[in-house]
Amino acid sequence: MSEPRFAVGDRVRTRTVDPPHHTRLPRYARGQVGEVVEVQGRWPLADDRAQGFPDARVEPVYTIRFSATDLWGPPGGHWVQVELWESYLEVVP
Amino acid sequence: MSGHHSSSEIAVRVRRLEERLIGAGLTSDDQLDTIIGRVSSGSPANGARAVARAWVDPAFRERLLADGNEALEELGFSMSRGPQPQRFTVVENTPSRHNVLVCTLCSCYPISLLGPSPSWYKSEAYRARVVREPRAVLAEFGLELPADSEIVVHDTSAESRHMVLPMRPEGTAGLGEAELAALVTREGLIGTAAV
Amino acid sequence: MSRVNDVGGQSGFGPVTVEDDEPPFHADWEARVYALNVAMLREGVYNLDQFRDAIERMPPGEYLAASYYERWLHAVETLTAGHE
Repeated sequence: MSEPRFAVGDRVRTRTVDPPHHTRLPRYARGQVGEVVEVQGRWPLADDRAQGFPDARVEPVYTIRFSATDLWGPPGGHWVQVELWESYLEVVP
Repeated sequence: MSGHHSSSEIAVRVRRLEERLIGAGLTSDDQLDTIIGRVSSGSPANGARAVARAWVDPAFRERLLADGNEALEELGFSMSRGPQPQRFTVVENTPSRHNVLVCTLCSCYPISLLGPSPSWYKSEAYRARVVREPRAVLAEFGLELPADSEIVVHDTSAESRHMVLPMRPEGTAGLGEAELAALVTREGLIGTAAV
Repeated sequence: MSRVNDVGGQSGFGPVTVEDDEPPFHADWEARVYALNVAMLREGVYNLDQFRDAIERMPPGEYLAASYYERWLHAVETLTAGHE
């Protein structure tokens, strides 16, 4: 099993995807940059399990913090934390 | 409560479904009755006990925040009775940070500990609005936070289930654990009330 | 495709309505649906992610008009359709 790709403090970008299947990346958090606040351990990918795949990919899940102002513009002023599987995330170049 | 269908029509539909699944050997009346009985044993009182213990015992509070699953076992509770393993995470309110919980995608909630969630938690109105305008939603619940208080909204999108550890109210220094637990409401555990 | 359940941040839903001292189930049939779903999950007829997926696939108008446990009923019926 590979090591988690990201660590606490990393900035990550969520994928800009609109998959035809069940996923757990909310629309409001797509294509957004956030910060890893926690690395949670490995869990079977919901997308795979929902499609009945016998060998669902098992991936690290991360708690990612987003600024509300980044998500929806001003006034914002709060944080939104979302828990996301590794394949939902990309490196921020 | 229902959309287009009367409650009696739905009840008939449910009974037919039950009969078909029992007939297929997939379940039994006994099993269904047991499941219903068990879900009623989940209650906000369980979460309130964990909160009260954390308020009186700083070492337990540390353990609860570090590993919610293990800390719950100390109190005789478990999050492992559900259909899939779940990670129980407790987030602490402080004078400068207030936490509030939601599942925008469906209605994930620590049912096996706290019992079924309230309808408002499952509603589109709550799920749509609390991530975007938490102060306004909390104000509707009667909770006004200081302007310099940071709000963190936790969207339960994966396999963690959360509970808020509210701040201990002022003037409770003389109270025992059971009395403290009695102060803790379900809204306090979700973050839509102070306690 | 973006699904109707994915409501985070959407506008137009109005105030949050709170029912005081709400019972866990508002009718017996709700408790039965709850229990049927738990039983089917335990039996391995489907998993929790398939269950959520089935709810999300409801036509949007039906999803929004349905009560919470009506959505559950739809999912259990759909996912057990082949079982007699």
